Amino acid sequence: MAANSTLLHLIDVHKHYTRGSETVRVIRGVDFQVSEGEFVGLIGPSGSGKSTLLNLIAGLDRPTKGQLFLDGVDIAKLSEAEVSQWRVHHVGFIFQFYHLIPVLSAYENVELPLLQFGLSARRRRRQVLTALKLVGLNHRLSHRPGQMSGGEQQRVGIARALVTDPSIIVADEPTGDLDGHTSEEILDLLDLLQNRLEKTIILVTHDPRAASRAARLIRLEDGRLVAGDESTIGAAFPGWQGTLT
Amino acid sequence: MRTLCTLIIKNLSRNRVRTTLTALAVIVFTMVYTVVGSTTSLVNRLVSSTSSNTRLVVVNRWITPSELPSRYIDQVTRVRNVQDWTIWHYYFGFLDESKRSDRFGLGIATRIDNLQAMHPGLEELDPASLQAIKHDKIGALVGLHMMDAMKWKVGQRFTLFSATHPGKDLEFHIVGVVPAGKWGSNFFFREDYFQQGTGDDETVNVIWLRVGNEETGRQIAATVEQMFANSREEVKVETEAASAARIAGKTESILAIVNMVVLVLLIDMLVVISNSISISTRERRTEMAVLKVLGFSPNFIIVMVVSEALIVGTLSGGLGAALAFGLSALNEADQLPYTIAFLRMFPVPVSFVPRGMFLGALAAFMGSIIPAWTARGIKVTEVFSDIA
Ligand SMILES: Nc1ncnc2c1ncn2[C@@H]1O[C@H](COP(=O)(O)OP(=O)(O)OP(=O)(O)O)[C@@H](O)[C@H]1O
Ligand SMILES: [Mg+2]
Repeated sequence: MAANSTLLHLIDVHKHYTRGSETVRVIRGVDFQVSEGEFVGLIGPSGSGKSTLLNLIAGLDRPTKGQLFLDGVDIAKLSEAEVSQWRVHHVGFIFQFYHLIPVLSAYENVELPLLQFGLSARRRRRQVLTALKLVGLNHRLSHRPGQMSGGEQQRVGIARALVTDPSIIVADEPTGDLDGHTSEEILDLLDLLQNRLEKTIILVTHDPRAASRAARLIRLEDGRLVAGDESTIGAAFPGWQGTLT
Repeated sequence: MRTLCTLIIKNLSRNRVRTTLTALAVIVFTMVYTVVGSTTSLVNRLVSSTSSNTRLVVVNRWITPSELPSRYIDQVTRVRNVQDWTIWHYYFGFLDESKRSDRFGLGIATRIDNLQAMHPGLEELDPASLQAIKHDKIGALVGLHMMDAMKWKVGQRFTLFSATHPGKDLEFHIVGVVPAGKWGSNFFFREDYFQQGTGDDETVNVIWLRVGNEETGRQIAATVEQMFANSREEVKVETEAASAARIAGKTESILAIVNMVVLVLLIDMLVVISNSISISTRERRTEMAVLKVLGFSPNFIIVMVVSEALIVGTLSGGLGAALAFGLSALNEADQLPYTIAFLRMFPVPVSFVPRGMFLGALAAFMGSIIPAWTARGIKVTEVFSDIA
């Protein structure tokens, strides 16, 4: 399923924060690669730096040290404005708390990232409707976030991440705020994105059920990848396999 | 573009109470500003207009209201380079027997043959009414406001119960209406009727002279003042503009206070706008971070925040000025239950409406630029690490 070519390549990535006089080393030398079309789960205990790493990959933050290639571009070297432009075209972001704009309808929320593309109104409309249809919400176009359930809001969030046709979709605990059944629906959707649209997905999660959807798991502990390729759900969450079925 | 506009407009409707209060602050400010500003602008207009710089007013130097011996008329008007002249006799009192203080009227007895030439502001007087008063000794041309206040009709007669000339109450026949504006609250009548009616041929209140230009005006003023220097009845001669400026100067300290109030209001308005915008951007930190994640530039955030403020500022600034203008216009047309004398003296010109919009916009811009700048600098990762 995974194509051969490398989409994402991290080389010795570090991220430090300074709080007053103290330096917090959140990411401490991470190397890994993700191939095009892969579905990678990023797991680890709370505070291990998962969100920080994801933000680096999405270009929301810059590494203190190291190289971060996405589609052959070292995004650590781009200016802030360039990264921002680059992100619109290459990264779709899905949040735990959906983060839809409350005053805009589902349709308008999905349309938002497209506004910077200079597309014709018709073309834009087609793309928005396609994305909303894909997540099964084409009957909720004019609903506002407040009028939708958590699951529905997250679907809108996914449609928004998807509408620009990015090469990689990153999701930070997208099911963290949803109940079991709704989580499964959202995860099914991610599966669909990966299978049908061949999107590369990086999913940060605490939830074994979510992690089990990933083809490969990367485990962070204390800002480092845990030694050895922990590519199976069993190794990542001991005892999980027993409850899988 | 439509979605962006929707976003900005919908943002304003999020907290209707706050938006409304902000708008109200701006509306009240621009109303006050407009009324105050129009007084200053009227005084300035008067001071700078040529017609008021080529008209000299000759008054008693020491007595207010002015009173001069009638024999001065001849001497003053014979001075070289005086092109035209007229006189005023004040005649005022109550407009009906009720003697209510709001029925007090000022009549000006003057020459009718050059009435318009010597009274800028009477250009729109109906020529027929001018003809009428020439043939009707007791005729009066009554100001529109006075007509409205007394509910008089042309053709009707009225008697003025004189306060200046007790026992000499004169009857008048209304032959025409003086348009609203500078003279809208007075009435004009013939000086020969005044003399006959009051028996007063000894004194005159004001002598007006018209001259060719400001320079000859200055010379004539000096000559005339010189003529009566050291006499019992010294005169003061100044241009109408200077007289307006002097009256304005007397009220200068009041205007200074008013200007202070305006300044305080302006600062208030800035604080109100700035505060309201700050609160609303702080509430939306996460949303702005999301917009940044979606690839919107920091400058877009600035444009968004400033536009929101500009919409409120411009609209309510325009509205405030429009309300002041409307009030002044209604007041002028006697459509209000109570007339506001102050507004009548200083009517609000319509040009203040765009000015109010501009002022509101300016305040909105200044009040929102700092919060917008702060919002621009929101760091996405910090916002999200607060939440997660
Ligand atoms: N902007 C920042 N400034 C300072 N410290 C930060 C910042 N962002 C994150 N950290 C610190 O970095 C560490 C890792 O944070 P991060 O959010 O990446 O963890 P995580 O693995 O996503 O945790 P969780 O599973 O709870 O979401 C934490 O100790 C956090 O306090
Ligand atoms: Mg996290």
